[in-house]
Parts: sequence; structure tokens; C-alpha cells
Amino acid sequence: MRPVLRLALLQARRDRGTLAAWILSIAGLGYAAATAVTTQFGEDHERAALISVAAASPAFLFLRGLPDGISLGAVTFFQGYSFTAVLAGLMSAFLVVRHTRKDEDQGRFELVGATQVTRVMPLYATLLLGTCANVVLALAVAAGFIGAGLPVQGSFLAGAGVGAVGLFFMAATALVAQVMPSARSANGTAAALVGGAYLIRGAGDALGTADPSLLHVTAAWPSLFSPIGWGQRIRPFTESDALPLVVIGAVAVILAAGAVMLRDSRDLGSSYIAANESGAERAGAGLASMLGLAWRLQRGSLAGWCFTSGALGAVAGGLGPVVRDALEGNPSVAELMSRIVPGDAGLVDLFTTAMLGIAGVLAAAAGIEAVLRLRAEEAEGRAELLLSVPASRFRWLGSTLAVAAITTTAVAVAAGASAAVVLTLAQAGGSNPGIVFAAALAHIPAALVFPALTVLVIALAPRWSSAAGWGALASALVLGQFGELLGLPVWLQDLSPFRHSSAMPVEAFNPEGALLMAAIAVVSAAAASRLIRERDVPA
Amino acid sequence: MHPDSSPVISTTRLGKNFGHTAALAGLDLSVLPGEVHGFLGPNGAGKSTTLRILLGLIRPTSGTARVFGIDPWAEPVRAHRDVAYVPGDVTLWPNLTGGEVIDLLTGLRGGADEDLRRRLIDEFDFDPRKKARTYSKGNRQKAALIAAFSRPARLYLLDEPSSGLDPVMDAVFRHQVRRVAADGATVLLSSHILAEVEQLCDRVTIIRSGAAVESGTLAELRHLTRTRFRITSSAKPQVLSTWRGIHNLRVDGTSIEFDADAADLGDVLDALATAGVTGITAAPPSLEELFMRHYGVQNTGRADHRSLDSQNSQAL
Ligand SMILES: Nc1ncnc2c1ncn2[C@@H]1O[C@H](COP(=O)(O)OP(=O)(O)O)[C@@H](O)[C@H]1O
Ligand SMILES: [Mg+2]
Repeated sequence: MRPVLRLALLQARRDRGTLAAWILSIAGLGYAAATAVTTQFGEDHERAALISVAAASPAFLFLRGLPDGISLGAVTFFQGYSFTAVLAGLMSAFLVVRHTRKDEDQGRFELVGATQVTRVMPLYATLLLGTCANVVLALAVAAGFIGAGLPVQGSFLAGAGVGAVGLFFMAATALVAQVMPSARSANGTAAALVGGAYLIRGAGDALGTADPSLLHVTAAWPSLFSPIGWGQRIRPFTESDALPLVVIGAVAVILAAGAVMLRDSRDLGSSYIAANESGAERAGAGLASMLGLAWRLQRGSLAGWCFTSGALGAVAGGLGPVVRDALEGNPSVAELMSRIVPGDAGLVDLFTTAMLGIAGVLAAAAGIEAVLRLRAEEAEGRAELLLSVPASRFRWLGSTLAVAAITTTAVAVAAGASAAVVLTLAQAGGSNPGIVFAAALAHIPAALVFPALTVLVIALAPRWSSAAGWGALASALVLGQFGELLGLPVWLQDLSPFRHSSAMPVEAFNPEGALLMAAIAVVSAAAASRLIRERDVPA
Repeated sequence: MHPDSSPVISTTRLGKNFGHTAALAGLDLSVLPGEVHGFLGPNGAGKSTTLRILLGLIRPTSGTARVFGIDPWAEPVRAHRDVAYVPGDVTLWPNLTGGEVIDLLTGLRGGADEDLRRRLIDEFDFDPRKKARTYSKGNRQKAALIAAFSRPARLYLLDEPSSGLDPVMDAVFRHQVRRVAADGATVLLSSHILAEVEQLCDRVTIIRSGAAVESGTLAELRHLTRTRFRITSSAKPQVLSTWRGIHNLRVDGTSIEFDADAADLGDVLDALATAGVTGITAAPPSLEELFMRHYGVQNTGRADHRSLDSQNSQAL
């Protein structure tokens, strides 16, 4: 037991800054959502209007969650729970990979492994650290809600709901880390699981049934397959029920036990999905240039991202008919919706727009991931070898940047194409497939701003590039999803690149916004290409 | 100056600070065309930093560096045209095979000499079909060495290249250095192992704490290569002290310790044979001892001295 504690303390020391930032951000988001609801929607009738619109709109249900009454707490939980739960999941997933597969990749375990520590102790230590982090997170979220004036008991339950999802993904990632061959693939798989949990819950909620008052929606069966869906069932501010917490906890324990078993029965550095040990003896013609190398390094990730966004597009298209039928026989709501949605876009278009907005975020994330390779190449020492040949840093950076731009574009194209095809097959109505496809492409300029800014940070302050890239994306997401709810000033909301891309098909295409974003991306990339010459390549 | 005799590498008063550490403090280094130049110094002396500056990867804080007369920071592409580099700590792309890495690196330099590539893979006993993630440190080093040697270059920058190689592979490596030197290439070989430098190099520059403390041909530095003897003998120490090439004679209980110049080693051994020796050990001086003896310093570098010592005794 003592070695486990010692290891956990060691890991905690390495992580303290990162974890503090995650926990404060997540709890801060919860606090901000609660404050926004109490100040912006102080009156019952305001909240009732908000909730009934949401209940009637599958797009809202998909993105946010289940309306469950109009108390301040219930509205806050509806607005904020899914997002905070996703963040808790990501925090826990990355935490686990950092201390398991990543340490193995970098050979740090061999040092620890040589001391009198059994094989599984480091994993126990990581699980202990992750549990502590999620308990602190649960308390911090509860404190934020209480501080914003929500009922105490509900706040604790809601906080526990966030922490429980974190625990679930901690355990799931511990398992993933045993199976996947590298930290990169483990992180990718775990993040995809978190994203999948959000999407499955979204599908369940969008398919849910509203009660006649339009103040409550009951989720459909798919959400039972998502820990976030279970978390919503706690209903902390209405008819609270702790059973879902027990269910999530039990599954987490089973997953963690599985991870421990797998860890105990494998060699250090091996994995259950074995990466190929051998391959081609000679490089193909493509691998004789910087561009060829950049492509080779990115192509696997690119396929993964495109698969994810294609699946998202298919979900968007497949739910089309459901969305169309949602309000049949409910003319009063149909009328309400037509007042809220600008122009005469139908519900299907509204839903498609929301889903393709997520595809835009995916495209940006894929681009950030692609350019951060530059940083890894440098930090892990491969750039030194590569830059000793007669090729400029400009070519090195430019090749990766080009491949990142291709990645971003491909992700948007995959989402748009699959949404357009599936919507057409499903005969859901709404805009024609060409417009739907164009709607996905309309997000590309804004998405490209993220890799371009990230590469600028790589040129200026490489140490901060990962935090800056992912931080920028998270901030843009919060601004986009919560900016209006939080009543943030317009100029601040306008800092998010996504505010400048057109929400087609609901909105018309806005060429100025697209041009502005493209210009910012190009200028940042050009500046990065110049500035990369000005600094040392770190050893 | 005749173009052929102008140095391939020259640095003047080269300085480099990392925050508050001065990794280099006024290094003067001159490497002439066609020579194999040893760059000798303990861990942390600034060898890798110098090589990185010569490659234009980092910018010197002060002083100048020229490679083929070109400033590598200002014009890295031109300066790299005929350079092959093997870093001290080789990391490769985990998903590429060794063969792909070799093709990538030589391809970026204009393509490998196919015949040479095949021979090198064979001599280094290297499996090019394995993914780089499965390679040990020595195998990663081999991949970088094969990539460096399988396309002819005019300048080879090798940073402690044999630190991960076993003795057999080390011999293959030395053979390759001699081959490229015979072809007229210039080699700068950094090392903290005196014996390695002795075997390969025409000239040596010794660096300590970021500055050159000694530079010259091996003959000029002959005093650095004394062998240390420790014998048990009935001979009188006073007699021994009259022999040529004997230094630092010391009596230690029943045994006698002394250092012998390499040039006089034969005579010393002949004399010992007749002096009634009952026990003998002989060892080349460790680099650290050399530093302490010749430069009167305790702290020869900033790094761990024990590792230096142990690596030395392994290598010797
Ligand atoms: N990127 C860096 N940041 C900070 N200090 C460094 C860096 N690179 C080298 N140093 C320091 O500079 C000194 C010289 O290092 P190095 O050139 O690697 O020595 P050598 O190769 O001779 O062992 C050492 O004290 C080392 O710690
Ligand atoms: Mg070094």
C-alpha cells in the first residue's frame, strides 16, 4: 500500500498544474452556467419559454440534454451537464494515459519497474489519483452551484454526477491503455469513447418523448448506453435518484478490475492490440520528402478523424426523419419554433445545422492534432535528425501545415458528404444535398484558424503549443455554446472563429466571414513560417 | 589562403547560454579538410551544443561558427549540402521501419548509394524490416550511422556515435570512419572516451566547461596518453625513477605506482621484465584523471563523474 501512495503522490506532483486547471475550468463553467440562468432567466415564465422551445427542438436536445422542469437548478443542469461531463471524461482519460501508456512509451516505467514495486502498483496509483481528482472535481462543481445559489443537496448530486462520469472514463481509459500500442492511439481511442458517449446520449435525447406540458423530456433507449445518459437520470434538482450513480460506479469498478487484470498479465511495453513489429524494408517513393513524411505520419489519424466525422454526418442524416416528425400534431410548438428560427428553415435544417457545427469543431480538432506533431517531433528529438539534411525549416513546417489543412478539409468533407447522402436516402426533407454538403464546407475556414494559430505558437513558444491549441478550441466552444447564455459582450463572443462561419443551411453563406477567417489562417501560417527560423530547435 | 587548406569547420570565441548555464564559453575550434578530428570532453562539456550550432539548429549567443565558410544559422540549407550527422541520442519514428528511416534520411540528402547501403546493413548486422519502436538504443544508432554513411558526404558530424554499440559493431564503425577519411572526407567525432579518439583521430581538441583547453595532433598530445602501472616488485623505487618516460612515481605499501609515456612503453616493459615483478596492472588514464592532472581541476564537467568513469573503464 505504501508504495502505491508514494507513486500516487509522485504522479500527483507531476500533474498538479494540469489537474488544477481542468478542475477549475470545469467547475467554473458550471458556476457560470448557473449564474447565467439565475440572472438571465430569473422569472419562471422566461425559463418556461426556454425549456419548451428546447423540448420541442431535437437539435437542442441533441446538443444539451433533457429538459426537466423549470427550477433554476433543473435549467442549469439541462444547459450544462453534458458539457461538464464530457470535460470530466476528457480530463480523466488524458490523466490515465499520461501515467500509463505514455510512461511506457517513453521508458519511464523501466525506472520505476526496477524498484521494489509490483507490475500493477503504478496502475493502482493512477486509479487512486484519478479517483481523488474526480472527487475534488465533484466537490468543486457542487461548490460552484451552491455559490451560484442553487439548492445544496441537488448541487452535491449534480457534482457527483459529473465526477461519476469522470470516474467511468478513468476506468475505461485504464483498460484502453492496456490494449492500445501507443499513447497517441490510447488518447485518441479514449477521447473517441468520450465523444461517443456524448453522441449516443444526444441521439437518445433527440429521440426522446416530451410530456404534453413540454417541460420534461424522457430520453429514448440509446441513452442507456452512455454514462452521460445515466448521469442525466440522476435528475438532481427534481426527483433526485442516486441509483444511476451506483450503476456508473459499479461499471467503473468492473472496468478498472479488468484493466488491472490485463496489466498484470502482460509485459511492460507490450499491448493487446499489437502494433506491427515489422514492415517494408524499403521506403516507397512517397517517403523521400518532408511532405511524404508528414503524410505518412498523419494518414492513420486522418482516417480515424474522417471515420468519426462521417459517422457524425450519418447520425445527423439518419435522425432527420425523426426530427421531421417530432412536432407533427403539435401546432402550437410548431408555431413557436417558426418564430424562433430565422427564415423558414425547417426543423430538419435546424438539426442538420447544429450537427454540422459539431463537425466543424471536429475538423478544427483534427487540424490542431496534426500540427502538434511538429512539437512532438521536436520534443522527442526527431526534428534534430530531420533538420540536419539540406532542407529548410520552412519546408518542414510547411509540409506538416499542408497535411493539417488537408486533414481539416477532409474531416469537413466526410461529415458533409455522409450527412447529405444519408439525409437523401432517408427522405427527411430539408435542404437539398448540395446545400447540406456546402454547409459542412462552410466551416472549413474557421476550422483552419485553429491549426494556423497553433503553429504560430509552436514557432513562438513551443512549450505552450499544446495548451494553447486545445485551450483555444475549448474557449471557442464555450464562447459558442454559452456566450449568449452567459450574456458575454459581443466582441468577446466574436473572438470565436466559429462565430464567423455560416450556420448553413439555416443561415445564408456569409462570404466576408469565410474570407476573414481564411485570411487570418493564412497570415498566421505565414508568420509562423518566418518565425520558426528565428528560434533554437530545442534539444 | 589556399582554398583547400582553409578549415572546413571554424569557430571563434563561440558562446552559448541556456538561461543561466553557459554551455559554451568562448570555444575556438578548427577542423582542417580531410582530417578526422576528435572532439574530446566529459559529459556536459558542450560537445553536443557545438555540433548543434554547426548544424544551424541553435543560434550562438556570441562568437562565430562557419562550416565550409558558411554561417550555418543564416544559411542552413547551403551549409548542410554535404554534411552527414549522427546525433548523440537518436530517436526515430516509431511507425517507420529501419529501412524506411534510412531511405528517408538519405533520400532527403539526395539518395543513397545502393551498393553502399546494402553493404552497411550487412556489416552492421541490421534488420531493416523491424519497426523503429522495437529497436534498442544501439539499433537506433546503427540506423542513423547507416543513413549517414550510405551517401558520401564531405563532412561527417558524429556525436558520441559508438556509445550504444557493442565492441564488434564499434569495429565496423571505426572501419567506416577510416573509409570515408580515406575518400578525403572530413570527420568531427565527439567522444568522452580517450581510447576511441586515439584510435581514429589525426587531431584532437579537448573541451572542458565550454572552452577548448588543448588542441593538436596526437603526437603533440602524447603526454595525455600515459599508461598507469601498478606493480609489486622487489626493485627499488629509486631505480625505477631513473628509467626514461616514467612519471609520478609513488610507493603505496608494497606496491609501486607510476605513469609511463606511450613512446617509451616498450623500454619500460623490457626493464620491468628484468626487475623481478610479482604482480602488475596497467591501465590507460581515465579522462577525468587527465583533466585533474593536466588542468588542475576537480570539476571537469557538470555531469555525473561516476558515469564517466564507469563508461570509461568499460570502453577501455
Ligand atoms: N537545451 C538546453 N537547455 C538547457 N541547458 C542545456 C541545453 N542543452 C545543453 N545544456 C547544458 O549545456 C551544457 C553542455 O551540454 P552538452 O553540449 O549536451 O554537453 P556534452 O554533449 O558535451 O555532454 C550542459 O551543462 C547541459 O546541461
Ligand atoms: Mg552530448
